[in-house]
Amino acid sequence: MKKEKEELFLSEYERRELLQSRIYRVLPVAAILLLLLLWVAVSRGEASKFPSPTAVWERYLKLLDRPIKNLGLFGHIWASLQRVFIALGAAWVIGISFGILIGWNKKANALLGPIFTAFRAVPPLAWVPLVTMWFGIGEFPKVLIVFVGALMPVVVNTQAGIANVQKEYMDIGTIFHANGRQMLLEIAIPSAFDAIFAGIRNSTSAGWMVVLAAEMLGGKSGVGFLIVRGMDSGDYPLCLLSMICIGVVGYLLAIVIQFLERIICPWTAKKSN
Amino acid sequence: MSESQYKVEVHNLTKNFGSLKVLNDISFNIKKGEFVCIVGPTGCGKTTFLNLLTRIYMPTKGDLLIDGESADPKKHNLAFVFQEPSALPWKTVEQNLRFGLELKKLPKEEIDKRVETIIKLMGLESFRDSYPHQLSVSTEQRIIIGRAFAMNPDLLLMDEPYGQMDIKLRFYLEDEVLRLWKETGATVLFITHNIEEAVYLAERVLILSNKPTTIKEDLAIDLPRPRDVTAPEFIEKRQYITDQIKWW
Amino acid sequence: MDSEKVKLKLEHISQSYIVNNQVFDAAVDVSMEVRDSEFLVLLGPGRCGKTILLNMIAGLEKPVDGRILLDGEEIKGSDERIGMVFQKRALMPWKTVMQNVEFGPKIKGMAKEPRREIAQKYINLVGLQGFEKSYPDELSGGMKQRVSIARAYANDPEILLMDEPFGALDAQTRYAMEEEVQRIWETEKRTVIFVTNNIEEALYLADRIVLLSNCPAHVKAVYDVKLPRPRNTIDPEFLRLRREISDNTDLAL
Repeated sequence: MKKEKEELFLSEYERRELLQSRIYRVLPVAAILLLLLLWVAVSRGEASKFPSPTAVWERYLKLLDRPIKNLGLFGHIWASLQRVFIALGAAWVIGISFGILIGWNKKANALLGPIFTAFRAVPPLAWVPLVTMWFGIGEFPKVLIVFVGALMPVVVNTQAGIANVQKEYMDIGTIFHANGRQMLLEIAIPSAFDAIFAGIRNSTSAGWMVVLAAEMLGGKSGVGFLIVRGMDSGDYPLCLLSMICIGVVGYLLAIVIQFLERIICPWTAKKSN
Repeated sequence: MSESQYKVEVHNLTKNFGSLKVLNDISFNIKKGEFVCIVGPTGCGKTTFLNLLTRIYMPTKGDLLIDGESADPKKHNLAFVFQEPSALPWKTVEQNLRFGLELKKLPKEEIDKRVETIIKLMGLESFRDSYPHQLSVSTEQRIIIGRAFAMNPDLLLMDEPYGQMDIKLRFYLEDEVLRLWKETGATVLFITHNIEEAVYLAERVLILSNKPTTIKEDLAIDLPRPRDVTAPEFIEKRQYITDQIKWW
Repeated sequence: MDSEKVKLKLEHISQSYIVNNQVFDAAVDVSMEVRDSEFLVLLGPGRCGKTILLNMIAGLEKPVDGRILLDGEEIKGSDERIGMVFQKRALMPWKTVMQNVEFGPKIKGMAKEPRREIAQKYINLVGLQGFEKSYPDELSGGMKQRVSIARAYANDPEILLMDEPFGALDAQTRYAMEEEVQRIWETEKRTVIFVTNNIEEALYLADRIVLLSNCPAHVKAVYDVKLPRPRNTIDPEFLRLRREISDNTDLAL
């Protein structure tokens, strides 16, 4: 009701502007609808090669009824997430510490920087054979591979953030006679929070991608396992269902991280307002 | 031709954001070739006002006319100079000056002529082939101002172009802008917080009120040029405007 | 009051840098004295000299040549007795107003309660009570500089350096802040060295003005400003002095 009243005061131009701003809200919804339509169109006729939306929906209902390896869909998602969370936790603690070390201490950077740069060039999945040989196909090797994938972006971003603190901020520390430890804790680290959070964001999406790959290589749970299972048994609706879940969970994870950043760095949240 | 004798007409310009009134019923006219300054207290709806003139916002009520027609950046020739200079870094001074004219697809001889005039008027001969990063901020700003005048705009909007410059430099640049204005006959609307600057430059000063912003007074400055900032009549005008807007 | 007592002395200070394999002289043989509790303004056009001199006094850079004496003793590097108000990025955006102001005492290891008390006193002095929990990005430009001034005072410096603190403010907010700095300085007398390129600001604030030349900087003239305070920027004598200094200033296009 109130809205209508306000609109009475709008000029013709402003009405057009308002309409425009609404279009921006409608566009993403329209894109999803369009994708669905396309999906229906493609899956029509040769249903065997591309599962239709109804087939995927029915597969979902069936999975609720008859779990695979004692786990329903959400059980498998949770299994994947658990691995990611453990690996991310470790990667953040170790990666941020290591990033601060080589970002702050020039000697440490000279000593460890080059090795790390070379190490970084190796994609996480290249570790799979060795890790499997050493630790088999249990829980630990999967978490380890995710950890390797999630570690890199955290280290790189933290190091860059710490090494490139604005001179103006360091000058404040000098003027107030801060010692080395205070410089690091009071100035360098907080001023690098933006960069560190960029690392955390990247590591989360990297971790979520790597876990699925790791699960496809063996195991009894996880979304990656579901995809392999679907492939092996010709159950393509299951594959597609798993893929949709991966997309949705990845999207939700990004939102959670964004929320986390607002809480941990309140000054950036206030700025964007 | 239309019956209007004014280059620019602003009729009852009003802007609300939701229930917040920012501009309230602003009306004024500018004659062709006039130099008008706008001063107002810090935090008055200056930015909103500018954004309405540049058509970034659309007014809630009222309109802005140029030559009797609703202003349209696509049709009318509006030029802007803002506080932060913004020359294209990959172009030389001369290329920067030519840029806007080339976009308008003017014949080459016309472009040559206009650019030469501006370079001469501003004494920029030795900077012709320099790049912006080789210039001081004030010189870069002069390039932008020269570029704006070279466009022969219907209306030239200047938003505190000399905001952070020291007095000596400011007076030098103010004299330069007056010279350009006289030579090109441009219609200029100059926004500033600096009252002395407004009295030094303007033929008319529009004094804005606090939000919701209205025009408090339309004050003619009929002092002879070149103006003496220490003359009693000058100080009197300056004091008068200060009294109208003083908040500090 | 021993107002003629010399607090800080610069002796034959020179500074140069290597830019593109060429020696660039920023300051040449600058000598000057700063008296106890005076408000000294370093005035100069362009970007040369002023800030560099201030940075050397603050210990943020070392002169190529010359000495700086504080109370008769040479100082090297940053000194606890010297505080500074910066021009750009003056505040730490990740700290609230309170956390910014209490920074100096906190670094010294003062306990939370006494340092909060000190910080609150100066927050009140600059008129920002009620904004203790705000972050810098929520404040206007003028308010940010108030916080910066409070932070410098909270560390109880004997000499306060101010590096074009109002350079980014509009003309009117600038007037307001000049009045504010004057009021604070009269409440809490310190030796202030204030850098600006704005002659009007210099004349409004200064006991003495040291006029520097354009690059390389050297001392061009020293003016004793005897006008009574608070000064009126459109007083004829004020305008006459402004013209006199302006005529003596280099044009830095």
